[in-house]
Amino acid sequence: MALMTNMELLTGYRDNCGFGALANIKNIPSHNIVEDAIKSLERMMHRGAIAADGKSGDGSGLLFSLPVEFLKNEAKEANVDLPELFAVAMVFFSKEEQVEVFKSLCEQNDLNVVFVRKVPLDTKALGSLALGKLPDIKQVYVVPNSLIATKKFDAMLYLARKEIEKALSADDEFYITSFSSKVIVYKGLVMPTHIKEFYKDLNSKKFKASFALFHQRFSTNTLPKWRLAQPFRTLAHNGEINSISANRYNAIAKCESLLSEVYTQEELRRIMPLLQANNSDSASLDNMLEFLLINGFDFFKAVRALIPAPWQNAPHLDAKLRAFYEYTSACFEAWDGPAAVTVTNGRYIGCILDRNGLRPSKYIITKDDRILIASEYGVLDIDESQIIERGRLQSGQMIGVDLKFGKVLKNDDINEYIKSSKPYSEWLTKHMVHIQEFVDSAKESVDYAIQNLVQKQLYFNYTYELIDMVIRPSIEDGKENTGSMGDDTPVAAFSKEFRPICDFFKQKFAQVTNPPIDPLREKIVMSLNTGFGETHNILTETGENAKRIKTHSPILTKDKLEILLSFGDSKSAQYEACYKNGFFSTGFSSELESSLEELCVKVVQTVKKDGVRIIILDDRNLATDEKAMPMAMVVGRLNKVLLENGVRHLVSTLCITGEVYDSHSSAVLLGFGAQAIFPYLLYATTYDIVESKGGDEHDIRAAIKNVQHSIDLGLQKILSKMGIATIASYRNSGLFDAIGLSGNIVDKCFVGAHAMVSGLDFADIEAKLNIQHKKAVSKDGSNKIFPLEIGGFYKYSYEKEFHDYSPAVVYAMQKMVETNNKEDYEHFKNLVNGRDGKMIRDFLTLKSSQKPIAIEQVEPKEKIFKRFATAAMSLGSISPEAHEALAKAMNTIGGMSNSGEGGESPERLKTDCNSKIKQVASGRFGVTPGYLRSAVEIQIKLAQGAKPGEGGQLPGHKVTPLIAKLRFTVPGVTLISPPPHHDIYSIEDLAQLIFDLKQVNPTAKISVKLVSTAGVGTIAAGVAKAYADKIIISGSEGGTGAAPLTSIKFAGNPWELGLSEAHNALKVNHLRDFVSLETDGGLKTGLDVVKAAILGAESYAFGTGALVLLGCKILRVCHLNKCTEGIATQEEALRDNFHGTAEKVINYMTFIAEDIREILASLGYKSLDEIIGKTELLATLDNEFAKKFDFSSVLFSVDGPNKCAKPSNEPFDKNEFEKEIVEEAIGAIRNPANKIVIERDITNLNRSFGARLSGEIAKIYGDDGLAEDTIKIKLRGIAGQSLGVFLINGISIYLSGYANDYVCKGMHGGKVVISPKLKGEEFAAAGNTCLYGATGGELFINGSVGERFAVRNSGALSVVEGTGDHACEYMTRGTVVILGKTGINFGAGMTGGIAFVYDKDKEFIDRLNGELVLAKRIDTDESDEVMQHLKKILKKHYTETKSDKALSILNNFREEIRYFWLVMPKAMKAPLNPREGN
Amino acid sequence: MQSFLKNDRVEPKKKNVLQRIKNFEEIYEGFDEHSARAQADRCVQCGIPYCHNGCPLDNYIPQWLKLVSGKDFKLAFKMSNESSPFPEIMGRVCPQDKLCEGACTLNSAFGAITIGSIETFITEEGFKNGFNLGFQGIRTDKKVAVVGSGPAGLSVATFLLRAGIGVDMYEKEAFAGGLLTWGIPGFKLNKETVFKRVEILKNAGLELYLNSEVGKEIDFGELRKKYDAIFLGIGARRSNRANIVGEDSKNVYQAMDFLGAAQKKELKLDRIEPIDVQDKIVAVIGGGDTAMDCVRTAVREGAKKVICYYRRDADGMPGSKKEYKNAIEEGVEFSFFTAPKEILTDSNGRARSVVMQKTKLENQNSRGKIVIVEGSEEEIKIDIVVFALGFGMDLPAFVTAEKIKTDEWNQIVVDKNYETTLGGVYAGGDCFRGANLVVNAALDGREAAKAIAMKLLG
Repeated sequence: MALMTNMELLTGYRDNCGFGALANIKNIPSHNIVEDAIKSLERMMHRGAIAADGKSGDGSGLLFSLPVEFLKNEAKEANVDLPELFAVAMVFFSKEEQVEVFKSLCEQNDLNVVFVRKVPLDTKALGSLALGKLPDIKQVYVVPNSLIATKKFDAMLYLARKEIEKALSADDEFYITSFSSKVIVYKGLVMPTHIKEFYKDLNSKKFKASFALFHQRFSTNTLPKWRLAQPFRTLAHNGEINSISANRYNAIAKCESLLSEVYTQEELRRIMPLLQANNSDSASLDNMLEFLLINGFDFFKAVRALIPAPWQNAPHLDAKLRAFYEYTSACFEAWDGPAAVTVTNGRYIGCILDRNGLRPSKYIITKDDRILIASEYGVLDIDESQIIERGRLQSGQMIGVDLKFGKVLKNDDINEYIKSSKPYSEWLTKHMVHIQEFVDSAKESVDYAIQNLVQKQLYFNYTYELIDMVIRPSIEDGKENTGSMGDDTPVAAFSKEFRPICDFFKQKFAQVTNPPIDPLREKIVMSLNTGFGETHNILTETGENAKRIKTHSPILTKDKLEILLSFGDSKSAQYEACYKNGFFSTGFSSELESSLEELCVKVVQTVKKDGVRIIILDDRNLATDEKAMPMAMVVGRLNKVLLENGVRHLVSTLCITGEVYDSHSSAVLLGFGAQAIFPYLLYATTYDIVESKGGDEHDIRAAIKNVQHSIDLGLQKILSKMGIATIASYRNSGLFDAIGLSGNIVDKCFVGAHAMVSGLDFADIEAKLNIQHKKAVSKDGSNKIFPLEIGGFYKYSYEKEFHDYSPAVVYAMQKMVETNNKEDYEHFKNLVNGRDGKMIRDFLTLKSSQKPIAIEQVEPKEKIFKRFATAAMSLGSISPEAHEALAKAMNTIGGMSNSGEGGESPERLKTDCNSKIKQVASGRFGVTPGYLRSAVEIQIKLAQGAKPGEGGQLPGHKVTPLIAKLRFTVPGVTLISPPPHHDIYSIEDLAQLIFDLKQVNPTAKISVKLVSTAGVGTIAAGVAKAYADKIIISGSEGGTGAAPLTSIKFAGNPWELGLSEAHNALKVNHLRDFVSLETDGGLKTGLDVVKAAILGAESYAFGTGALVLLGCKILRVCHLNKCTEGIATQEEALRDNFHGTAEKVINYMTFIAEDIREILASLGYKSLDEIIGKTELLATLDNEFAKKFDFSSVLFSVDGPNKCAKPSNEPFDKNEFEKEIVEEAIGAIRNPANKIVIERDITNLNRSFGARLSGEIAKIYGDDGLAEDTIKIKLRGIAGQSLGVFLINGISIYLSGYANDYVCKGMHGGKVVISPKLKGEEFAAAGNTCLYGATGGELFINGSVGERFAVRNSGALSVVEGTGDHACEYMTRGTVVILGKTGINFGAGMTGGIAFVYDKDKEFIDRLNGELVLAKRIDTDESDEVMQHLKKILKKHYTETKSDKALSILNNFREEIRYFWLVMPKAMKAPLNPREGN
Repeated sequence: MQSFLKNDRVEPKKKNVLQRIKNFEEIYEGFDEHSARAQADRCVQCGIPYCHNGCPLDNYIPQWLKLVSGKDFKLAFKMSNESSPFPEIMGRVCPQDKLCEGACTLNSAFGAITIGSIETFITEEGFKNGFNLGFQGIRTDKKVAVVGSGPAGLSVATFLLRAGIGVDMYEKEAFAGGLLTWGIPGFKLNKETVFKRVEILKNAGLELYLNSEVGKEIDFGELRKKYDAIFLGIGARRSNRANIVGEDSKNVYQAMDFLGAAQKKELKLDRIEPIDVQDKIVAVIGGGDTAMDCVRTAVREGAKKVICYYRRDADGMPGSKKEYKNAIEEGVEFSFFTAPKEILTDSNGRARSVVMQKTKLENQNSRGKIVIVEGSEEEIKIDIVVFALGFGMDLPAFVTAEKIKTDEWNQIVVDKNYETTLGGVYAGGDCFRGANLVVNAALDGREAAKAIAMKLLG
């Protein structure tokens, strides 16, 4: 991956999808199962994607139990009699001779090919893209050749297949979809609706199966690959494995210690490599699982070993089950990420959900012994009277079917079986060492002082700024410091200052195809649990495997380090050879590259010869003649060398280093393979700080603990932004982009990282180290009173690190907009454009083969203005004055301002202060139908430049009455924006949100904001396929918001990289003309804009710059509410000092537009349109420094259109269903006195119901909507996703049936009532994430709902009878009543509103996240008002739904009231308002 | 920090005006710990530290403000003294409103941080607590001669001594300090403060030769033989002339002579020629900091009436606003848009009156070109005239003799390492810049010391 070529990057993919399984529990095969499975698949087509040819699709398929009768019959017709035991391979051949290879390798494995059958196909079912790549699909019938082969038949099949795959691995098209005596897979690049037509076999009545797994793929790219369709050999997966790179690395390491009961060592060698190359994450998971199963690993344990439920920090987890997981964790790390997986080995079928429940998985068990598992309800028409059970999987749960005994196994059954199968607890007690047991907290060492502190601080770049801004805040607060206003420094490689190696890396983060995690509110899933010791044979379960030393964090304190070392020190009493340690100094005098190699060779030798198992890399030996090699390089290089030498599984690497001072540097070392870190210099500095202020031992202990804790928190944040929950799954992942390091370095030292703009090599790094070393050890006498460097990385400092916003630039910008004098703009422009090699664009100069033209010939500035926007800044993050000035300015010139997410007052929406771009972010604050309808463009913010993958907070003191009103919350209540959009955990979810938005506002363009990172091109292609109209590539330079410093500095790439990649990836995938591209991030002058245009951007946004025009002086105190210029503040006294005006912004935009015109004229072009994507207009700068770097990937250009050519990117689903209803209701909308009642049947294909109607009403009446019940809609059936989304006052929806995910998301008014026939707590009646971001309205459901119910609710009233995990998360207002069980983590991040929970079994308190909320009883006199309020709500619920539960509670209210909890925020200032939510 | 909405800008207390004009003691009382911390705590801690940017020495102002607020006086002391040779002096004499405080983010709307006073507090407080500057003695066999003990000389000596290089300093007067001693009156800068610094340097290994003028008592050629490098910090003390009739009359003085005489009296030097202004009308011509020093000195010397004549208005005054305000408080009268045309003398050749004429500015710009208003002459009766029109350079003979390159204003030309055209001879301060701020001389000294150390020690 290090030296990934452009094309590899551009044609990469992520996939997500719809999936499911259908089985006859009693294992009776029938053709009905086949037909119903296909039908189910068809009904989830909206979860997949369709290629540009409108027919190809991204692939779909089914895995069936082997249709023995059909296959035998087919063989018989060819005069082949099949024995009882036979297998069939389904193969995609690309060349005829491959059949012979297949045959001969079968023979070599004691298998006999008896029949090769060409699978009958109807190619009319294929789209042209798929047809072009159509393989030769054959079935190969195989029987065992001898008695031994009969016994080991399945094992031999697997072995043979692996060998065949290896033999033909050069041919990317050759693929064995399945080769089994138990199952067969029919799949391909075909749409579900055409799969039956394509595979004629499936139409045969003889084709009978007892079960089927099915899958519909949504890939981000459009380049057809037949083999990537799912299911694979054992599974189908919906989601994305975020930890895949670590899992793949670890799989190789694990393979070194295998001992199989099924295969000989020689056979195992033939099977290797375990994971097929060039495969998707799901395919790799399949490889791994299949391998475990074929080697006799228990089916359920194998699944739970790879996708464990959260156990480390899950309180109240069964102790024995925890023991199983802890034991298993010694051999396996989680394949982590959103995952709903159906698996089978032929006997069992299972379905499992990831630890955080990020994918939907719903099931139905019927009276006729069928079980249907799918992403959605309603994919098969099953009469409710036939249903025994209708449920869903919760976070980390599994459900299984034992086909042999005809039994459904629920989560509890499976856990019961697993935990009691082996004496895990005993094993752990006997073998596992927990370091903490040996630590005496009261006497923990304070011996952190070191010799030559200053010298080491100088060498390792500990500046005063670092101490002041990074270390000291950690000491004081136990968490990382926050900053704001983005990063305006050059990337490390371009810097003239010394920058540690870790600075060259940018963290990867999740966007669109996978969600980040909220490590604070959902910390239950997070873990930094770290173990030391060998990885044993993973295929067997023995007590020995538990032999590990464990600790809860990879950042060790002195005591922990010493305890760990004592186990590996032969002189110590507790010495054990398996923990033997060896110290290796990373010191070197010269020749970095060869010294590094020598060190690695030495380490490997010591591991092999001396049995060292814990490698300790130590950089403390800094001396006059000795430098330290960068620890990150050593760790990374060693990790690769150890793996190449087959000893990686034996060892753990511990770094004793001065290089680590924050979570980012820790993450770099861990990501490249370190097991743990002892940051001695950080601790010594901490000690020095505390000690010099007169702190005592107690203070020092507390400080060390805080520093360690803040790194832990930071690490959790870094993991979580990539959607990874455990450090074990993050270690070895290399999840970074390396900017400006040579391909050579990255290839050697940083496996997994993307090398971008290949540049500095070992010699360059060494030269920098030499300077640093000289500074540290020189005795040239500059006897400084204050010996450290002052630093200038976070803030400007004279003659230190370059900042694009220098004092001179800020002064110049403010002057030019004040004077509106062209000379002043010229001065500013020259300052910025003359910065010389600081940003990527600085290395690219303009060149044109055309003659300059007269400026008059160039398009007028008004046309250019249309391409300008201001970047999203919410009212709340900035003051109303600043917000309105930007809107007014942009509206005046015909550009667009961006509301940010935080609402906009209805009065503004109709004036020249209406922001044309309305943003929808993860908080959904103020996102109402009226807000959305007022937009020309609706921007979905998936990531934010300053902190991609993270959420945010608006502290209570900033929530003024105005802001609270706009956001539908309560003044003074802290507002939390979650890291993920809780309705976007994958690409098809984004497609759904885009669909929702296009319904509520059919005229608005939908844009999606991404942050630049390697791989953003793939994401962009996916977003285009999800029907977005515009994609914004945001650069790391930008970002005004408050964020942890490590996020501002170390996540997100310059926009040049992302823009160029996205532009080309869209072109490769033939999607460029479907969408337009925009970029932002540090754009300042006309030249910046012109370069952005040449790299593919059609429009341009200004964030920080726009604020500077309004007076911002880059104070970076936005998060403190102390902005002296009245911009980033809500404080009246400060806002009085606001000096910004719309004119200033207009002046600037005019300067830039004129500047652009001049540049265009000089290049000889008349318009921006003519230069967009024309990279031949750029040349790399011709100087020595520039020549060190390879900018070819930025200037790369594939053929194809360079601009959007479509008026809009129209979704496949035209929503005729609701359009018709709008027609019917139009009279009532126009004349609300004409109330109307509409009746319809609905299916899961009818999505986002209610949005079109609401949008039509909002268009006329704004958020006020219509009078209650003006339009009453009675629905029967199973509603598709997003029922009642953005619903507005005046509409009432009564659903007789049940619904899927996102019910009443963003609801603002009106009413939705869901009453299924099978009702009550036991039956699921709606899916996940209902009421997300609702601002009003009422929802009554006579049944239970899924995960994250009422997440970020800020005003709706709702009653349901049971919920999944994380209910009421981030809620800020509104009232929720739950008449049954809730899942865990109730009320996490809930800062407002109230919830009533009926808890007869007294289990609720264990499920409550008590961090922000408290639960209290209401059966007291003083709660009388509350009681009566609840009673009224219950009456209403009964009236609407006829709920039995509500009735029985009401009938016995005096007694039942005792079982209710009232949950409310601890910090709720406003008095409890019983009417709230109505 | 950021408490600027809660705490207003408060300047250190000034002594009662009627009391303070009776002597040459410093008029400011200085911050105590409480007020220094409260004032420092107002700091915004800007992402772009404009104060730091506005400081010629690039002092780490926000850093030490935060340290003061956080009560870490020791670290503040170290950090403040790291970049500045004598922060307690700079805190007193810098025109902060033109530099750091003028650039302070809070300046326009909330009142700048009182940076100068806090700066003084840090080092005074540090001395009080016995914090030392960590000189480690002479650790090399290299030696540098510094000519002149003014701000540039003291600065270069400070940083050379820190580098362990020996320094011999030659001063023509009987006291060290140069402009700090003679040019800045005691009510702004207590002389004890200056001498304390000199003492510190002496303790650190400085050898100071007073009454030793290079070119007279000491031969320049000898110096060149004896030392590894020479630094010239000889200032620019030749007063600019008004070029009007009568300016050489009796009772007409140049600012530096006027101030020097007063200072010498204060220091009780033997060879003094006091200038008696008791009960006289004193006209000071000029509008800079030196002019303010003169008017306020005259007030303290017992003048009956002191008037300052300046050809622009108050906004156009190049000096510190603070000093203008102090002067007004102390009873000085100002006559703006006024320029002298001629000095009329009595029969003894003493000045008796000045003919003044009105001026106006082109384009209403306070620093714009000045035009004389025709026919606006007016004769004003005075007893003593002091010209404070800035300074120029009087070249010592050895500079000319050694052919050290100078420019058209007689200022010594140096390269980026402060080295003159004569190898091993360095120069800084006013003799290279022309009359300028103390802080710039301090900067020159610091940077020259770095260059000399680099050259001598490698």
